[in-house]
Amino acid sequence: MAPQHFFYRAGFGVAPGTNTSLAVRETLAQSAMNKPIAVVEPVDAEGLRLRGMSPDERKQMLQKSRKTVLQLNQAWLAQMANDATCLREKMTLFWHDHFACRTLFAPLAQKQNNTLRHHALGSFRQLLQAIAKDPAMLQFLNNQQNRKDSPNENFAREVMELFTLGRGHYTEEDVKEAARAFTGWAFNPMTTDFLFRTRQHDDGVKTFRGQRGRWGGEDIVDMLLEDKQTARFVVGKIWKSFVSDQPPEPEIAEALAADFFRWDYDIARLMESLYTSSWFYENRFRASRIKTPVELLAGILVQTGGRFQEEVAPLFIQRALGQVLFYPPNVGGWPQGPEWIDSSSLTFRLSLPSLLFSERETDFQAKDDGDANNLTNGFRGKNLALAVDWKKWADVFTKQSTAKTLEAISAVLLARPLFASQTARALRFVETARTDEEVVRQSYLALMSLPEYQLC
Amino acid sequence: MSTRRSFLKQSALATSAWLIPGFLKAFDGKPMPAGEKRLVVIQLSGGNDGLNTVVPYRNDVYYQVRPQLGLPASSVIKVHDELGFHPALEKLARLYHQGELAVLNNVGYPNPDRSHFRSMDIWHTAADSSEYLSTGWLGRFLDARCHDCAAGHLAIEVDDVLTLALKGERQKGMALRNPKRLHDTLQAPLFQELAAIDAHGEEPSVSYLYKTLAQTVSSAEYIYSQTGKVASGAEYPATDFAGRLKTIAQLIHSGIDTRVYYASLSGFDTHVRQLNEHERLLKVFAEAVDALVTDLKKHGVFDDTLILVFSEFGRRVAQNASAGTDHGTANNLFLIGSHLRQQGFVNGTPDLKQLEQGDLIHTLDFRSVYATVLDRWLQADADRILGKSFARLDLV
Repeated sequence: MAPQHFFYRAGFGVAPGTNTSLAVRETLAQSAMNKPIAVVEPVDAEGLRLRGMSPDERKQMLQKSRKTVLQLNQAWLAQMANDATCLREKMTLFWHDHFACRTLFAPLAQKQNNTLRHHALGSFRQLLQAIAKDPAMLQFLNNQQNRKDSPNENFAREVMELFTLGRGHYTEEDVKEAARAFTGWAFNPMTTDFLFRTRQHDDGVKTFRGQRGRWGGEDIVDMLLEDKQTARFVVGKIWKSFVSDQPPEPEIAEALAADFFRWDYDIARLMESLYTSSWFYENRFRASRIKTPVELLAGILVQTGGRFQEEVAPLFIQRALGQVLFYPPNVGGWPQGPEWIDSSSLTFRLSLPSLLFSERETDFQAKDDGDANNLTNGFRGKNLALAVDWKKWADVFTKQSTAKTLEAISAVLLARPLFASQTARALRFVETARTDEEVVRQSYLALMSLPEYQLC
Repeated sequence: MSTRRSFLKQSALATSAWLIPGFLKAFDGKPMPAGEKRLVVIQLSGGNDGLNTVVPYRNDVYYQVRPQLGLPASSVIKVHDELGFHPALEKLARLYHQGELAVLNNVGYPNPDRSHFRSMDIWHTAADSSEYLSTGWLGRFLDARCHDCAAGHLAIEVDDVLTLALKGERQKGMALRNPKRLHDTLQAPLFQELAAIDAHGEEPSVSYLYKTLAQTVSSAEYIYSQTGKVASGAEYPATDFAGRLKTIAQLIHSGIDTRVYYASLSGFDTHVRQLNEHERLLKVFAEAVDALVTDLKKHGVFDDTLILVFSEFGRRVAQNASAGTDHGTANNLFLIGSHLRQQGFVNGTPDLKQLEQGDLIHTLDFRSVYATVLDRWLQADADRILGKSFARLDLV
């Protein structure tokens, strides 16, 4: 069970027959593999002009964007399901939630995604510096402004509240002074490169958290990292995504934060510490997280090696369950743990395997989020069928009894062993299968339809 | 007076993220006690253009900045010296004349946010503009009802996906498109068997999932068993939205003790070529609401029902270059009921001269409306639910 636990946390799970005997450190070395996503053309000569478009131009632009939104989503999901890249992708997904941001422009979405990926296992300092200058982030936060004369107060606030210190650890004065330091930060809409507008920058003396100086944005970021609270806050987020839906255990979390701070925010080192600590593998941290919709979906793809018959199906499933890649609900990121579960989302999750593995269609209607520019609102799904090579998996379990096959598949799919009555119930269902392939398929169907499969 | 945050801290068990009630007992639903009030919330998603809904047809500024979008005064349904309704809102104007409609203008909140998801979150969670809450005002209404009970069915949303407004710390409302469909889905052997499993001795994470499932199955069973009994009989337009209101009516007629119903109509984000689309949507809205009100009256349940209609923001005063409007701020809000203490246009007209960056300035915080509805209509602890005390209005 221990390798399964590791792979469910560091990645999205394992396929049957995967060699899980490698030591954690060796496995983690694979995450050095960084494959940027490149499905969207770089920004063309028109740049990112939106204002002043005629209705027809706008319609064309949106149609093109609709296609690329789908492509970006597919490309990222495919990398999550791929052995070679899944470890880094899991980390990238975490940072996508942490630095939650939406953009209308596919090239900017792709660029930000690759920036997150590039720094995902590097230095949090460098990651934060890069994201602060990322065009999608600059634009997103500019759009949320309410006052022209303090253009970045929102960004300054969000940097502190959501990206580094957390609420209650800074003052309004800090926000105002930091905002002054970030003035002049912009990007070139033709190239999407960061642009520092000297004339728009307030280079006066600022007093930020007790320190006086002609601070610029980079200085603010560095000063925020000098506060151990940032390490604590980020470790708290890491805990929720990688350890447990239960609140952090103070002793362990404090130690991790102290280490993270001491290692100058080295992300890879922090994650390795997590995965090589014996406490991480104790019972209370197993099956202690409800899978997010993307974790559920990516996990299914990893564990079945399947391909959707309809290309919009995975996007529809994300919509139905409330987590669409590249479209976080707000800058606070996605919900956590039990917040994903209500009567209808749980019913849909438990029904999902039968929709994937059989010919059933669904008439479930995902909700429109009201935004005419959110092109994922239009993606509907009826046929969610997943084509799976059941023979391939059957070959992994040849010459085993049905009961042993079910047990082996259970070890791959579930984060905790089933209780005895559940195993008996599943076995009764699986024993009706007539061929080896059916045994495997029915095992998958039986186990993935259980509430236990929602946990990792 | 506790802050919202400390309320949320107190109501959550300190040690557990799972908040499992003590013992999972069989659900026992009761019929709605006589005289208890119910609320129907209608959400217009996308940011409804308030100025073309309730039209300031005497205001020069309106016509100056909306050369194509301004509705000709001759077409506006004039019900008042200054304001009238969009021509598609004939049915709404009738409610106005019958004294069953209250229009609150300039409803919003300080430091308005013009992004859909952020502003909708604010309306759903009743948060301040700079605050991020993960529970909704109606979810917290359910939380305040009872600590350990299965209260999910007390708030029903007619949709496949549950909205944040109905998600509380411990309790969550139920999302269903129709009782029969949900019941049929849950009749599958998988769900029946799983719902029968008593997993409360298991790990909290597992237990929580089984508990939720068991409650879902028993709530669905209860709802379905009740709704079979009374036929609606009323005529509804053949639109998806009207169908949802019809489902609400059927649930109300069944006598179940649900206190809150929720339904959304989407498509109001009219950045481009607004006129036709907006007209279509307003017509869908008005005719569906009219059918609902007629139906409720016929069954003698309109007196106990209050309908609240809102949108996450209004739109800019001036039209844009694409014959549409962009995101704005304050908007109008409707209350529909038989015994409104104030009717018609309750709080003045929008001021199109005093704008902030081209947008209307709110004069009424929406949370006052929530507080009034929670306190005076639903008899709930509004201050606790909203985390702060908001002034009550003399409306219900």
